[in-house]
Amino acid sequence: MVQYGGDEVAALVVDIGSSTLRAGYAGDDTPKAIIPTYYGYKSQPPDADVSMSGIGDDPSAHNSRIAKMFVGQDGPSIYREGMEVGNPMKEGLIEDFNPITPLIRHALEDVMCIRPADHPILVTEPAWNTPANRERMAEIIFEEFNAPAFYIANTSVLNAFAAGKGSALVIDIGHSEASVTPVIDGFVLRKGLVHSSLPALVHKRAKHVLTQPDQNRRGINLLPHQLVANKAPVDPGFEPQFNVREDRLQGITKSWRNWAENREASEWIHSVASVLDQGWNEQAVAARGARQYEFPTGYNYHFGAERFEIGELFFAHPQHLQAANPNLPKSLPQLISASVTSCEPDIRQVLLSNVVLGGGGSLFAGLADRLNNELNRIFNHAKIHAPGNPAERRYGSWLGGSILASLGTFHQLWISKEEWQEHGRPIVGQRCK
Amino acid sequence: MTSAADIRSVLSVPEPTPGSSQQIKKPVATNKRPQGISRELYELIGDSVPSVVPQQSKARLKLKPNLGSGPPRSRWEWREFRNGARTDGLRLSHWVKAGADPDAAYPFEHYNVVSNPYRYTEEEYAQLLEDPEWSKEETDYLFQMIEDYDSRFLVIHDRYEFPGGVLRSLEDLKDRYYSICRRLVRNRPWNGDESSRSKILGLLAFEKERELTRKQYLRSLENRTPEQIAEEEALYLELKRLEQTERQFKKDRDDLLRTLLGIESGLSDIQLSDDSTLHGLNTMPEIKKSKKRIGSSMEIDSPSTPSNSMIQQRRIPIVKNAAFDAQHCITRIDLPQTTVTKSSHQAAALRSYKIPTPKQAVATKVAQTLSEHGVNSSRLVMPTRENLLHLESLIEATTLLLETKKNVDRVEQDIRFMKAKVLRRDGQLGGEGGEVPMEVDQEAVADDDDVGIHSGRGARKKNARRSMSMSSVDTAAQAGRSNKRQKQG
Repeated sequence: MVQYGGDEVAALVVDIGSSTLRAGYAGDDTPKAIIPTYYGYKSQPPDADVSMSGIGDDPSAHNSRIAKMFVGQDGPSIYREGMEVGNPMKEGLIEDFNPITPLIRHALEDVMCIRPADHPILVTEPAWNTPANRERMAEIIFEEFNAPAFYIANTSVLNAFAAGKGSALVIDIGHSEASVTPVIDGFVLRKGLVHSSLPALVHKRAKHVLTQPDQNRRGINLLPHQLVANKAPVDPGFEPQFNVREDRLQGITKSWRNWAENREASEWIHSVASVLDQGWNEQAVAARGARQYEFPTGYNYHFGAERFEIGELFFAHPQHLQAANPNLPKSLPQLISASVTSCEPDIRQVLLSNVVLGGGGSLFAGLADRLNNELNRIFNHAKIHAPGNPAERRYGSWLGGSILASLGTFHQLWISKEEWQEHGRPIVGQRCK
Repeated sequence: MTSAADIRSVLSVPEPTPGSSQQIKKPVATNKRPQGISRELYELIGDSVPSVVPQQSKARLKLKPNLGSGPPRSRWEWREFRNGARTDGLRLSHWVKAGADPDAAYPFEHYNVVSNPYRYTEEEYAQLLEDPEWSKEETDYLFQMIEDYDSRFLVIHDRYEFPGGVLRSLEDLKDRYYSICRRLVRNRPWNGDESSRSKILGLLAFEKERELTRKQYLRSLENRTPEQIAEEEALYLELKRLEQTERQFKKDRDDLLRTLLGIESGLSDIQLSDDSTLHGLNTMPEIKKSKKRIGSSMEIDSPSTPSNSMIQQRRIPIVKNAAFDAQHCITRIDLPQTTVTKSSHQAAALRSYKIPTPKQAVATKVAQTLSEHGVNSSRLVMPTRENLLHLESLIEATTLLLETKKNVDRVEQDIRFMKAKVLRRDGQLGGEGGEVPMEVDQEAVADDDDVGIHSGRGARKKNARRSMSMSSVDTAAQAGRSNKRQKQG
């Protein structure tokens, strides 16, 4: 036990992402509880019409009106009359802390069936987190969960640890944010940190491509299966034959509909979209062929070029998009060059020979290969480390936290409740560098 | 004779309970095979046991694994512990063996190593450390950062934010810190001898200008465009071609001279021309180009000039270069004088790209051997020229060691085989003469060892046969030594 440096103290690791919240025991190889960060809620009746109109624009205002929350796997995905869907995260950061406590509580108490007060808790944060945010997180863990000890660690560093590296260039592609972070000896170099909401752009673009008609097909109705009563099989490309559940149609809210349609779009991305390994090439697209996909309405179609166009957005933005809005999020090669060039020339080689790819967004089909090719085009001697196991890629930051919190040498770093009470908020910044 | 017990042990069938089957088989076991019938035949026709034993003992439902016979079970307890590396009273719990000492120190405490950076007093600062560029507050801040981040200057530089301070480069920070440390070491009373002090001063040496120049070189190396790299390669090829033509021209000229003047033209000229090309290769391209222009022009203008003056002229810049090199830590390497191809060209690159790796076929074995000797070959912290050479020789030595080991194993096997043969012959003849093949083999061993170890640095030809004492053990020791040097460097 001692020879591996591990000493388990039944610590918990909580990794909050834009898409899912992961929680589990330190020392495990996968999180025990994986619940969506999206949550459903019902507002109090008098304000119902107000919150229908504007969702997500003023979280602190609408949270006071929440009457009931639905979190977990059967939270937002189940149809409930008048249920809104919210997400506390914005650009990788926690923007609204009110739903965080119920979300963590659900993961720990309902899914893992444990008492949080018995366990030290390690929470993750993105590298661009604000000091106020991490102090607030410490407050929640100590005051609301009564945990004996707390630590907040950086997702980029943890991704590097999960890959077994102390120094690495971490490319983390999440649900909404893509970031490139140089990590040296377990410390983030803040000057080299760059991030952009590239995955969100790709997602938005995919939804746009699907819903807009083109010369071959009509725009696709992304009606979720919760609203489809029955459907009949149709040939590819033909008008779908289905019946809508009229009884539910009245009860849905705009935010729920939006969430459900986004989910259909991401399902399409996960199953069909891909990226070419050597840049855009019409012939390669034709050679890879089309792929069939069926939507909940029964509409199905062979998607050819459009499934590759989406992935291309990770690497280059087409002219017409750039012309339409000048401040598009930076593409991956741009992010990587920006990050590497802002580092000292001495360490560039170290970073480039230890590129770690992580995050669920990096599971986009073909992305790792393409990234490898792009990297070798810009820099020679770049070496990319991308775990083949999808779970390791998706939960890389959780896994790193699991490794870190199960190390015997780590236990001196915990912020104990005693220290929290004695020193207050500044201790977080002092301890978690 | 096969007995039931043998079959049982072969098939690992448990011993049946003493019962009827045992009694039936007993007379079978005592039966003698009649003369003249082969054993195999008798076992087929005779009343011996059938080849498949029917399970006669009581049928068991399922074989349970036997868990009782292993080592005795130990009890573990979930117990609170105190971590001595913590300053507060946090008590976490972990699993420990029930009998463990509850007051024992936490095993991970001693990994909490606190570095001991240099500190200065108010007086010392006032006397020695004043600097117009740095305020006392900022210096304090710098030293605090160095303590907080354990002298990780890259991280310190990244996080360095002194309120109201100017923007400092990494070199500024390092320069300030090391210059203060040097001054402190120099001016404080020293307990040890002078050599240890100068050694520490050497460790604290930091030349800002040189560091900046180095970084600048690195940057320009990185910023080469593909066109520039291609041009560099093209130039290299062009250079080589020119050299070849020159050599050819020289050879022709010498031939001509010799035919015209006979011995007076001098055979030494041939020698010298070879020599000069060699020197030419050793120097940097720029220096060489200018030199060549001088040389070739002279050759063309006055072909009959005695070559001595030419040598003189050529030697001077080289001598100068030696001093220049020593001053600027430039090491010149012999370029291989092989045929000119694109692949033979080595572009400018960082030395860390050139870390040698063992041959693919033996890579795992080499790594294994190295790790057996406690050498971590995968991570070379400081790839300087010497270290790379050491690593290369280490890998070479290891490869050779493995080869030698293989040979030795083979030869030993041969010896054993021969010995057995000899013994058998001795038994038959009862005579001498068994030693001869063995001696021949030992000779072979010595030969293998010798060649194997010395061929490493390409000195195969020079090396006369050495004694047998150069064994594989020696190679291992050599490997260990060179590794130590590598770590120090």
